[in-house]
Amino acid sequence: MLRDGRLLVLAFSVFAVLIGFFLASVAEHQQMQLEKQTVGATAKEQWDTQGVKNPHAAAHFGIYVFKPDSPLASVEPGLRQYTGQTLWLEPHKRNGARFSPAADQGLAGRFGQASAGFVLYALLPLLVIALAFNAVTQERELGTLRMLHSLGVSATRLLLGKFIGLLLAFMVVLLPAMAVAIIILYQNFDLAGDDILRLSALSGTFFMYYAVFAALAMSTSIHFKSSRLALFTLVAFWTSSVLIAPRLGAAAAEMMVPIPSATAFWAGIKKDIQQGLDNDGDHQAREALFKNQMLKQYGVAQVEDLPVGYAALKRSFNDSYSERVHALHFDRLSDAFERQSRFIHIASLLGPSIAMRSVSMTLSGMDLAHQRHFEDAAEKYRHYFIGLTDDWDRERSHGTERGALGHDSDWGGVKAFSYTPPSVSFALHHAPADLLVLLAWLVAALIWLLFSAKRLKP
Amino acid sequence: MFPNKTLLEARQLVVNYKNHRAIDGLDLSVPAGCVYALLGGNGAGKTSTINTFLGFNRPTGGNVFIDGESPDQNPTVVRAKLAYLPENVALYEYMSGLENLSFFCTLANIRISRQHAHDLLMNTGLQTDAHDRRVSTYSKGMRQKVGLAIASAKQAKVMLLDEPTSGLDPSAANDFARRIRAAADLGMAVLMATHDLFNAKQVADRIGIMKAGRLVEEFDAHTVAHDELEHKYLAHARGLL
Repeated sequence: MLRDGRLLVLAFSVFAVLIGFFLASVAEHQQMQLEKQTVGATAKEQWDTQGVKNPHAAAHFGIYVFKPDSPLASVEPGLRQYTGQTLWLEPHKRNGARFSPAADQGLAGRFGQASAGFVLYALLPLLVIALAFNAVTQERELGTLRMLHSLGVSATRLLLGKFIGLLLAFMVVLLPAMAVAIIILYQNFDLAGDDILRLSALSGTFFMYYAVFAALAMSTSIHFKSSRLALFTLVAFWTSSVLIAPRLGAAAAEMMVPIPSATAFWAGIKKDIQQGLDNDGDHQAREALFKNQMLKQYGVAQVEDLPVGYAALKRSFNDSYSERVHALHFDRLSDAFERQSRFIHIASLLGPSIAMRSVSMTLSGMDLAHQRHFEDAAEKYRHYFIGLTDDWDRERSHGTERGALGHDSDWGGVKAFSYTPPSVSFALHHAPADLLVLLAWLVAALIWLLFSAKRLKP
Repeated sequence: MFPNKTLLEARQLVVNYKNHRAIDGLDLSVPAGCVYALLGGNGAGKTSTINTFLGFNRPTGGNVFIDGESPDQNPTVVRAKLAYLPENVALYEYMSGLENLSFFCTLANIRISRQHAHDLLMNTGLQTDAHDRRVSTYSKGMRQKVGLAIASAKQAKVMLLDEPTSGLDPSAANDFARRIRAAADLGMAVLMATHDLFNAKQVADRIGIMKAGRLVEEFDAHTVAHDELEHKYLAHARGLL
């Protein structure tokens, strides 16, 4: 391969394409991080300097929180385009970053982004095919296979040698690009130990993925008499694995597990808040019951006589109920997304690419599980700061009087949102199905290769 | 010198390809030191016979043995004992003759030094300045010399040749015949499928004519006259016998 120039041409092409996409991804990543920092600092300053106003009115000013992207998002941006990275936290309502316009494109759209990740999971298998499709057919066509057979070389040994040689050649092609990519990562980001672990795990799984294609390409080359037929078959398999399976899987998943539209989702929450869950009674009934409980608790006859602000009390009660409803609907939605992901794996029968893409997104921290982890943390923070402003509102007013006021010292005392992304073990915990699928493909491909070796004829 | 030990043997060999019978009850034996030329027209069964000895074809009936071992039962052991030169010796075009020789030897678990590889190539008559040239620049005769060097390196007991002189100029064919004869004189059993009567008569000890998968006639190459051989060969080819 080195002598016929194929390896050099491919190495140069891979280097140019991979580094090109990677540099573009790094630039985009840095631009987004900068925007997040700038907008975050501006929003925090605006929050801190709201001046004298009612604490609940201050809460309605809202707080923006941002998901810090892992440096690996430069390799695999995953669902970033579809989930958004910013959450606006406000009273009464849990906002979801995932309801961005792009999210309405559906699951299928999530598999077609051009990124370094796309090159790694979609284009490089083509390179493996280009290197391996004629590994045996060419020997057969040239007659060297008969020469090799006549030497008494065992077919298994010959093919395993070719398989290992192919993987080594592929690594020679890939290593320069990977080395440069790692240097760029080191220069542009503070890589933590967890990032390095994630990068190592990602490299390992990609190696498994390429080994699957290499073994399948070698086996196909054994079974076909002409290189052209072997190439057509392998390109068809690549198309099925990379292009068809994700879309087919997505279509099946959407059919089996329908996801409500954004309008229907919010309407469902509004309805449950208004009409109540189970036998909780509707909004008015719940409020009337709460009012009676408060009058009884404080030993007064009317809300005007309460020693604390009733509006803040009632709001906290309603918000608490609203949070319960939101949590229920958001959990259902997340579960539905996860069920959809599981259904998509059925299409892994057509190829390992779905599982690889999924692992890639998970290890890069750009999948649904990591998004959910971030949104749950943001929701906890929302409870914290809304609870704080409600406390000030309640304690600084009484009865139906609504004169509670807060100051810049109060707003500045609200702790900033601090988010620690989960570790690599969280990622691995959320990827067992994908890893199993990849492993199953690898084992099956190697068994087929060994089986094919026994049937190898010159 | 070679006490008639049979190294190549076919007993009532039958090979079918689907519904076509390629070899039909072939009995053949080639002792050490003997060159056996198989003559016959296209489709007579010469290449099928060689492929069966190589273990590429599985016998439908009967048996073949190389130095007492069946290629069907024990192909790796059998192939270690034989050398094979097809009509066009297939080599790796982007490697030199020397590299091809070293590569094939490595795959066959034969360790040879660079100097030994040069010596082997020189012994086949391949010019020294060609050793390090890419095989893509070689003539057919030069490729066959690399093939012969591989056979020498293997110290094969048996050589199977399939139309070895086809396409060679007379001088190269004569040179090739000399080297095959020399190999046999060292104790190798050689089975050669050929159309070339002149070459067969020149190099072989025994000559067999195949027709429709059968060995229809055998001659002692040292006693048969060329005209008689030609007459018989043409008569069989034209269906007159």
